[in-house]
Parts: sequence; structure tokens; C-alpha cells
Amino acid sequence: MARRALIVGTGVADRVAAGLAGWEIERSPSSGGLDLVVWADYPALACEPRRIVDLSPADWDAACDRPLRSVIDLARTVHAPLAATGGTFVAIVPLMASAGGARYTTLASLGEGVRLLAKSLAKTWGADGITAHSITLDPHAFLAPEHATGIAADNALHDPPLGRIPDDADDVAPIIDWLASGAAAPLIGSSLVIDGGLWMPG
Amino acid sequence: MSRLLDGKVAIVTGAGQGVGEGIARALADAGAAVVIAARRAENGEPAAAAIRARGHEASFVRCDVTDAADVGAAVAHAVDTHGRLDIIVHNAVSPPGPPAPVQAVEPDTITSQIATSTTASYLFARAAHPHLAANRGAFIVLTSPAGMEGSGNLPVYATVKGAQRGLLKSLAREWGPDGIRVNAIAPVAWTPAMTTATEANPTLQARLEARTPLGHIGDPETDIGPVAVFLASDLARHMTGQTLAVDGGRYLGL
Repeated sequence: MARRALIVGTGVADRVAAGLAGWEIERSPSSGGLDLVVWADYPALACEPRRIVDLSPADWDAACDRPLRSVIDLARTVHAPLAATGGTFVAIVPLMASAGGARYTTLASLGEGVRLLAKSLAKTWGADGITAHSITLDPHAFLAPEHATGIAADNALHDPPLGRIPDDADDVAPIIDWLASGAAAPLIGSSLVIDGGLWMPG
Repeated sequence: MSRLLDGKVAIVTGAGQGVGEGIARALADAGAAVVIAARRAENGEPAAAAIRARGHEASFVRCDVTDAADVGAAVAHAVDTHGRLDIIVHNAVSPPGPPAPVQAVEPDTITSQIATSTTASYLFARAAHPHLAANRGAFIVLTSPAGMEGSGNLPVYATVKGAQRGLLKSLAREWGPDGIRVNAIAPVAWTPAMTTATEANPTLQARLEARTPLGHIGDPETDIGPVAVFLASDLARHMTGQTLAVDGGRYLGL
């Protein structure tokens, strides 16, 4: 029987879903157990370059606070379905969450909040057999190419050793597949950077 | 003798008690005129009066940090009353509620945690930017070790404190060309929430101190305050986008 994955978001979420071969993909919560939840639901406004002084309170709410609330609510919703199977929660976050990005304050705030949520879930949900992780991806996974290149350049003094930007479907999805497997069970609350070696934090 | 913050004006949010009050006192001792921004006058007025009693300049402004009009009024108060604005210390945060996994956190707690952390940081950043840019000022947020390592007991608190770190790093990049520095302090210190927690759990203080290399929970004024003074001063003029853990060495993951 195919394992069930709930994929929340568009863009990079769609591409990851396309790469999860052999999984039964759902796009909204339904009844029954879940083996995997992948969250990457970033509003379009958060992925556009905007100075913070040019954001209205409504913009901030739409691009940061409301989606942050949504992912917390999602975690509350999927706890029981994940506990039923001993499943895995994966949050996909942009490089700017941990490295900063001028004119991307909403995206970075949302992303870093979600990364810390995943760590926090891992700490308590482990007792329920659930693992939780975050995956940091290159800005190209989230932004239009003309915007992503500048952010990537701000964060590295070298080209990615991989020689290319990892492909969301061909490179990232298999790693998520592995995280959801029994082989990755001892890995708890990890923050994986899958950027071809562009950044190498810490 | 000149002091590090002579001639500077600071707003400290949540400064009616706890870490905010300690930071406000330390900034004032270093020469800054301080605006105590707090929701309740019964805390904020005495905090400002105590600073004035030491011979320093301080005032109180009632401020709900989640309200754009209140935040704008607090910034205007600083400029109108003290003549300028150089330093924002956003410390206020609503109570995180009792320890609980995310699925058991009260919905109202989630709402208030987001509002007082991310919304309020944005509102102060937007309102204060012209003044901080004019004075090459400093924007400081109070985050937490939970915002770096996560928290099983306070998952929403860890989430919003993490979000503040994402904000400060991006703001540091965005505002660097304006000469504004943006940094964070992640303290473990005696706050009303810490006092409540240790009273409810008699073994908590001993356990926390046992995991702290320096062996004690920080004092808001003498342990946390000086770090805020440093970050606000020209001593830290080449630092931006950083988080300083001021927790006695409990979190060493940076």
C-alpha cells in the first residue's frame, strides 16, 4: 500500500510532490493516518522584494503572520494522523531564513519561525514516534530567477561545489523520501541545507 | 566623565518590569534618555520614576506594541519629549502560557505570541526607521535560546522567537546601507514569567542553574542590561545581524 503524504504549498512544494515517486499525494488534510507532511506554503507577496518600510500592516499580516499561524495550526491538525503511523514532518525553508535577505523580511521571518517550529515539534513529538526536520534550499526554489541570483551571491563567495543548484524534484524529494524512511529514524530535529554547498553555514 | 550613551534616546518596550526594566535602567545609567513603553501605567510610571530618581531622564508612554497607532505614538513621544530617537529595544512579549505541546496550546496564546513578537517588531521597525537612519541608530530585539534550539515545552514561543531572528538578519542586511545596526539578545534571566515558573515548579531553578556553566539565572539589570548598552553603543559599531546569548553559557550552539 502506498504511503500517504500531505504536501502543503505551491511552487517548490509542487516540484517536491512531483519527485515523491510511489507516494499517494494529498494536498489538504483528510481522514486517516499520514506518513509524511511537507510544508512550503509561502505567499507570493513574501517572495517579492519589498523594503520593510514599504510594507503595510496588511502586507505584513498576509506575508508573515497569517502563514505563520497557518503552519502552527497545520501542526496541530496533523499531529494525530502522523502519530497514527509514526510519520515525518518536513518544513522547507529559504536560505534567507537563517542567512538573512535584504527586502525579504517577511519570507525570512516566516521561514525561520517554521524552522524553529520543526525543531520544537521534534522535541515533543518524538515520544509519539513522529520525526520532524527542516530543509533549507537555495533562494531559486522560492524566488524569480532574477531576484534569487543576487541573494545567493550575497551569501557565498564561491560557486556551489555541486556545480549546479539542486533540483527540487530529482535531488530534494529523494532526501525527503529518505527522511520519512526507517533508515533516518535516529535523525531528529535536523536542519539540512541542500544547496549544493553554496552556503555551508556554521 | 562621558558615558557610552550620552545624548542618545531609547525606547524600551515591555519596560515596566523584568528584563525590559533592567535594560531601561542600564541604558539610562549609560547616559541615554529612556522611554518606558508599556501597556500598563501601574508598571510603566513607577519604572520611569525610579530611573528619574537616579538622576536620569526617563518618561512613560502607554503602548500596546501590537497596535500601529500606539507604536507610532510611542515613536512620536520619544522625539517630542526627548528630542530624537536613536535606539529601539523591543523586549515585550505576551506570556507564553503553560508548558504544552503545540497541539495543546491555547489558540489565543498563539495569536498573542505572534502579535507581540513578529507584528510588533515590524511595527517598530517601520515607525522608527526614519529616526534611526538619521542618527545611525540601533535596533535591538529580545529573542531567546528557544528561538535557536527550539522548545518542546513552549513550541509557539520558540517559533516566534525564531521568526524574530529571521527578521533581524534580513533587516541587518536591508538597513546596513542606512547605517542602522540590528542585533538581538537571547537572555535567560529573572522575569515575572520565570518567577511564576519557578514558584510553580520548585525544582526548576536548581535544574536550570545546574545546566548553566556560570551557575545562576541572569539579573535583568546587571547581567542583561550591560549587553544592551554595548549593542546600542559605538563599541558595537561593526556588529549587525548577530544574536548574543546572554544566558550564563547555557546555550552553546552558535
